[in-house]
Amino acid sequence: MNGYGAAPMFAPDALRQLLPDFDYESFAHLVGLFSDITIMSLLALSAYLMLLVGRISFCQQAFFGLGAYAAGVMTAIFHVSLAVALVAGVAVGALTAWLVALPTMHLAGLHYAVATLAFGEMSRILLGWWTWQYPSEDGPVGPAGMEGFRDIRWCLENDVTPTEYLILTIVLLLVALGLLMLLERLRLGIALRMTGHDDLLASSQGIPIARVRQYAAALAGGLAALGGGLYAHRTTYIEPALFDPMLGVHAVGYALLGGLGNALGPLVGVLLDLGLLDAMRIFQGWRMVVFGGLVALLLRWRPRGLLDEPTVLRMSLFLRRLVSTRRASNGI
Amino acid sequence: MLELLQLLVDGLLDGGVYALLGLGLSLTFGCLKRLNLAYGATAMLAAYIGVWCHLRYEASIAVVAIIIVVAATFIGWYVEQLCFSRSDDPGFQSAVGAQDRLFMTDNGEMVALASSFAIWMQLEQLAVNLLPRHLNPFPSMPIESSWMIGGIAIRQDRLLLTLLAAVISTGISLWLLHTRAGLSWRAASDHRTAAYLVGIPVVQLQTIGFILASALSGIASFAVLSLDGQVTPMFGMWVLFKGLVAAMLGGLGSMLGVLRGGLLLGVVESFSQSLLGAQGREFATYALLLLVLILPRHSDSGRRASWGIRI
Repeated sequence: MNGYGAAPMFAPDALRQLLPDFDYESFAHLVGLFSDITIMSLLALSAYLMLLVGRISFCQQAFFGLGAYAAGVMTAIFHVSLAVALVAGVAVGALTAWLVALPTMHLAGLHYAVATLAFGEMSRILLGWWTWQYPSEDGPVGPAGMEGFRDIRWCLENDVTPTEYLILTIVLLLVALGLLMLLERLRLGIALRMTGHDDLLASSQGIPIARVRQYAAALAGGLAALGGGLYAHRTTYIEPALFDPMLGVHAVGYALLGGLGNALGPLVGVLLDLGLLDAMRIFQGWRMVVFGGLVALLLRWRPRGLLDEPTVLRMSLFLRRLVSTRRASNGI
Repeated sequence: MLELLQLLVDGLLDGGVYALLGLGLSLTFGCLKRLNLAYGATAMLAAYIGVWCHLRYEASIAVVAIIIVVAATFIGWYVEQLCFSRSDDPGFQSAVGAQDRLFMTDNGEMVALASSFAIWMQLEQLAVNLLPRHLNPFPSMPIESSWMIGGIAIRQDRLLLTLLAAVISTGISLWLLHTRAGLSWRAASDHRTAAYLVGIPVVQLQTIGFILASALSGIASFAVLSLDGQVTPMFGMWVLFKGLVAAMLGGLGSMLGVLRGGLLLGVVESFSQSLLGAQGREFATYALLLLVLILPRHSDSGRRASWGIRI
């Protein structure tokens, strides 16, 4: 998963002559790693939204995949710009997520988790059946069933380097993060959290919990689809097998590990896992043994993750006090 | 006509295998309300340990069977301690601490689910490290022939497994219904707090039940693998998925329901396989599961209150 795997693309010849000692290989590796982290963060954020309303969803990878296919089809077959393709992907993801939420949202706990798992697998198999080849100059393009969907070449055709693309994904992630943080200050965001904490209490306060959960599901589907669209254009190749339940389960794991107190939590989870995975090369075959044990131990002591609600509250109080003391010392 | 009948029989016999896998899952998920995703991995690691002993020390098939069940028991204990018990809580020994665990919320269940998933990954990696090859021979029982009855072939090995599943599920059902210990189990499953208040040691019961269910996974995996003659790293996931579908189709917590669910799953798989191929079979399985979950009949079984033992 290293982007185009083309280190020379990062550095024009002039730059290479200027800085011959610079380690271009590991720079390419770093760009690939950060792209993975950013895209996984979008998926983890979508799992986080579902956890916020008290539902554990194992099908966010399906919306990720649907978004990837939709955005890929838009640029590869209809030759629209990336922005339009991403919007189309998000629309497909959000709409599907909303439609799935309609009949499943009344389920709770394990039943909801298994229902979403079943839907995720069904959509993966459906994507494997979907063949829609469209003739172009370099032969047919489009989804080709289990063979996968090749040549999503928008970035190559428009001379977008992996570094520029990474900046684009980071900006999109920051926008999504900012919107989520804003959302949590609005009525709807508070309603989301209330629904997740105790739906009986929330509904007796007059909150339409079913509709709130459907909104959350649609939002989460859109976020996952955004990540998928970005992923498809980064790797230029997608196949249904990429969107297996393991991906969705990892996203849920990141959100739980990072914490449910704040939208930054899932990012912490992703950084810990992908960062640690990279750092734990020394363990080789034992990596999963160590990491699995660490996650289980951590969840034992911090069931709502590293950044749980009390921690977030304490941090924001600390920041507020810091600001007010500084103001006082400045004589304002 | 005969072909359809043959498909039906094959499906029913496959269903027996799924029921056998689903029994322990139904016990842990339904009766104990412990969402143990590491169930399949437990069975797999135990089977790998058995195979390792077989390859290394040429242990005989009976010894391998014992090793697998014992290993599954110990792994189950490990999973229970790590993911599902909170005995490190300072107030655990006091009644208050125990009360906290009794009122385990939805959130607690979700966290246990996630940490058991982490342990799933861990156990699977351990198994693969133990025997890195993709295909490992399993000491097999020489039952491969089938009976022909009126032009329909009945595979003896599958019949044996189906009978085993039927015997175990009926046995557990009878035990739950007709003994005093079974009564306390049902009470603990129905209403944890009420059971605790009348003096049933709910937490200990749940621990014991969890470990017993893990041992059951060892029995099931030995039975299935010894008739197949080989084990691959996909085994853990297969056990979890097929067992979970069977258990959920029949209603979690119901012992005879698992039997029904397994048979239904087997029949649906065998028909959709002949109609739509391998991918179609998978699709039909998941569609069936989704349908059963969202149909109005089950709309209230999603509530935690109605999880319990239904016979």
